[in-house]
Amino acid sequence: MKWATRAGVHIDRAACAWLIRRHIDPEPEFVFVDDPARVPADATPFDMRGAELSHHGHDCSFETILRRYELDDPVLWKLAEIVHEADIDDERFDAPEARGVDVILRGLSMICDDARVLEITTPVFDGLYEFHRRALLLGREPA
Amino acid sequence: MAGTAGQWVLLAYRIPRQPSTLRITIWRKLDRLGVARLGDGLVALPADARTREQLEWIAEEIVEMEGTATVWLAVAGSMAQEKAIAEEMRRARAAEYRAVIVQAEAAASARPGERSRTVKRLQSELRRIGRRDYFPPAEKETAQRAVRALAEAVVAEGTR
Repeated sequence: MKWATRAGVHIDRAACAWLIRRHIDPEPEFVFVDDPARVPADATPFDMRGAELSHHGHDCSFETILRRYELDDPVLWKLAEIVHEADIDDERFDAPEARGVDVILRGLSMICDDARVLEITTPVFDGLYEFHRRALLLGREPA
Repeated sequence: MAGTAGQWVLLAYRIPRQPSTLRITIWRKLDRLGVARLGDGLVALPADARTREQLEWIAEEIVEMEGTATVWLAVAGSMAQEKAIAEEMRRARAAEYRAVIVQAEAAASARPGERSRTVKRLQSELRRIGRRDYFPPAEKETAQRAVRALAEAVVAEGTR
């Protein structure tokens, strides 16, 4: 399937792309556009003004996608807290990782293009997921 | 210290009177971003990828609550006008930094437990102010120094 989002990806869009790849569409094709009017007709837009898979109320796009696709894995919701704080920074959640993840993503967007950002961040989110999966099973921080 | 931003992003909006909680939510979000209020339902921020995105999300939220909102990129009609707005924003942040300085100084004589809690709180507060500080005033450095001194005192206390 084809998915479209705004060019210049940061935390929310990178995390959404990872979520789509891992939980919705194993072979996604991502398109980056500067203008919402340029979204290809056969693509599903996300994290763009006017799109269904976008910010709604207090939710960032990552949280919207979790709700819309009924992904109720608690580990994904833990990652959602980090993405929410890194993106919106409204202190709704206690996610100290958020600041670091946000800075890493902002730095990456300065040195590589969007396709490369997604390539680099895929294992980053895989790792974050695994860390929090083990933490949840153990009930404490894994080694 | 940049006196001007060049390009600005503006949000022109109208929010329905009721329910008032939604109006308050939007006002809080705008305050958090440190916007310059140019008039009734018109706010501005120096334009960059982040500020533009933040105002676009707020615009979207206002539209979802049946209000109207448009986002614009703009340049001030005169340098003097822009400087006055920037100065107003700098003064607003300076007052916030001064409040941090006062609290950091007061905490120097507080009990150790309370002091370490205050350090954490003031560090977060500095980070929040920093994110909406587009034209840093001199007070920024003083506030950072005051909080750092307090943090060092807390660490010294713990190792004694």
